Amino acid sequence: MIHCIRTVFLLLALLAGTSPASAQTAAPEPMILTTTAPGRGMEAAVAALSQAIVNHNYTLVRQQAIDSRLVPYAQEVRSVRLVYFCNFAKMDQALRLDFRATQMLPCRVTLVETPTGVDLIAINPAWVSQDMPALSELCQELKQDYLAILEEAAL
Amino acid sequence: MTGFVTLKRLVLSLALAGGFPALAEPISVSKTADMRQAMDDIALAAANHDLVLVKMQPIDTALAKRGFENPHIRILFIGSESAVRWAEEAEPRLLNLLPLRLTLIQREGRISVMSDDFDLWLKEFPDPPAHLMVEAWRAEMKATLDDFVRQ
Repeated sequence: MIHCIRTVFLLLALLAGTSPASAQTAAPEPMILTTTAPGRGMEAAVAALSQAIVNHNYTLVRQQAIDSRLVPYAQEVRSVRLVYFCNFAKMDQALRLDFRATQMLPCRVTLVETPTGVDLIAINPAWVSQDMPALSELCQELKQDYLAILEEAAL
Repeated sequence: MTGFVTLKRLVLSLALAGGFPALAEPISVSKTADMRQAMDDIALAAANHDLVLVKMQPIDTALAKRGFENPHIRILFIGSESAVRWAEEAEPRLLNLLPLRLTLIQREGRISVMSDDFDLWLKEFPDPPAHLMVEAWRAEMKATLDDFVRQ
């Protein structure tokens, strides 16, 4: 009977999507990682970000306006740009672990020009992978890479 | 034995009551096609829903030419100007979800196409207008992928 009760509690914990251990340790990941490059224009911010990406062993894939190919080039919004980048070894590793890793590939930073500077925004890979346990460790590593790149780009 | 039956009943009633944690799943479809045909069909399906193919990311060839195993996966980005303007106005954080992403996976003569996980975003934005916006994009994506299967 005691065994049965213990099993019921264990099942309830599993059904609630948590276990006593994980409830104590798992803090929710923020959706967004962000920093600001104050007093900087878009071109300078993109250049600094590109350099930071290379410095952290990533390859620049491309940059584009948020509405690229949706409107004629001359009408593209200049104040929001997307910069895509990749580390192919990490991409290979992530796809081997769980093909749903494509939801965070290639890496991307969105730059938004404001009156006081440029905001650099990235989706936190550890937030995206919350239902992908196989990717948990790698995504923590990716998150640290993002934070380091954002920090350097904002210097 | 009685305990086991009770346990079974409890689990069954929790399941019937929707007590199992819903695993967030992206929208996904599959059909028999090769990669090239699938990309053409998606472009057509997207156009039928006023979406534009913005960019194709050939991560299969990108990895293979660098000596990694070919994962037979490509990523497509599709979007619409109205979605961008809508997000700019209502909730700029949603710009991070645009353009919308599709993953194409080639396995044994079939192509599976998977969207990003909209449920994550819906949970993060529980209130209108952002919630409604993500719901609308999810519905648009679902309709596009259904159309892709019919091509």
